[in-house]
Amino acid sequence: MSDTPPLIACHACDLLLEKPDVATGQKLFCPRCKSQLYQKKTDSVNKVLAISFSGLLLYIPAVFAPLLTLNAAGMNQDGSIFDAFLSFYQQKYYFVAITLFLTSIFFPLFKLSLLLSITIQIKLRLYSRSLPFLFRAANSLDEWGMPDVYLIAIFVTIIKISSMASIHYNLGFICFLFLTMMTRATTSALDPEIFWQEIDRMKKYSTKTAAND
Amino acid sequence: MDCGFISCHDCGKLISAKEIPEGFQPACPRCSADIHARKPHSLSRTWALIITSAILFLPANLLPIMRVDFLGSQEYSTIMDGIIYFFHENEYGIGLIIFTASVLVPLFKIIGMTIILLSIQFKWKSWLRHKTAMFHFIEFIGRWSMLDIFVIALMSTLVKFGTFTSTQAAPAASYFTAVVLCTMFAALTFDSRLLWDTESSNP
Repeated sequence: MSDTPPLIACHACDLLLEKPDVATGQKLFCPRCKSQLYQKKTDSVNKVLAISFSGLLLYIPAVFAPLLTLNAAGMNQDGSIFDAFLSFYQQKYYFVAITLFLTSIFFPLFKLSLLLSITIQIKLRLYSRSLPFLFRAANSLDEWGMPDVYLIAIFVTIIKISSMASIHYNLGFICFLFLTMMTRATTSALDPEIFWQEIDRMKKYSTKTAAND
Repeated sequence: MDCGFISCHDCGKLISAKEIPEGFQPACPRCSADIHARKPHSLSRTWALIITSAILFLPANLLPIMRVDFLGSQEYSTIMDGIIYFFHENEYGIGLIIFTASVLVPLFKIIGMTIILLSIQFKWKSWLRHKTAMFHFIEFIGRWSMLDIFVIALMSTLVKFGTFTSTQAAPAASYFTAVVLCTMFAALTFDSRLLWDTESSNP
């Protein structure tokens, strides 16, 4: 008996379907509730490896380098993503500060480094017991990293203060812009089904070699 | 589920119910997540979170969310004040973005989830496809309500010119963050398959 039946269940309405062959780039929709079931992507592992690595290179300047410098009344003021978190912390809004820290600083780093380590493990065929757990964490915590929302917030802030001060764009702004693009790109390049199949295959191989030893 | 299979919440693998011994918390053989036919206590958890966010929505909108100090005078403003300010300045685009993200989206999430939950409780079987689509939309827009909090964080970092002018957060920021988190958790605990269970049980 094969352990995976050639069936899939819709994640939104639980309709049981025969698993059809999907051509690359095609999307599969549930016939009953019209939810998107699956989209096949090419070369997912390599793409995610490359994008998450370049994202990580940008991370430190994106979060710690000043985004903008304001000039008003002869005074200069600049701030980074990290400063924005600190300002809530110093105003004693700890709950908001923690949320801010998680969504704008911790989870983007967490996602990129998890995906990088997972893809490296898949490429080098280094199976560890934590691998399925890591990939599960990367998937389920994905929506809590919000650099894209933050980027729109930066644009809103720029418009808000453009009337009262002159604005200079700094290194942090460019890096954060690209970091956001990289995080979005990992999501669109990631094909969870391919990753699960690779992880499954590595798991079987590692248990087989362990049995032979 | 009717055909004797359970699909894993996390990786979607189908597991035959026969392989699972009774009285034992099974784990997915592929991703090792706990397996449930439906998310546990989905309805009551989602109800609790939606009611919480509906209550918190009031202070979040009625209390001031930002304080602007200008030459010694303090001015508090609520979310709506900020939006009205943009409309006065003829910045309609930005005004609309903030209005959508901070007022419309949380309101839509609370009302939408209430409709979905009620239709499960009373087994309303119409518009199931639209309700599923609405739930996917609620899942998707959840994070975008954080926009206003990020703007305030940036404003209070950047607009800090000593005694001349500065911007600070005000109490509604905490309530507003709580509303966003509650609605996001509500979308996570909700299992959209419950909508369709009423249909498949009565063919």
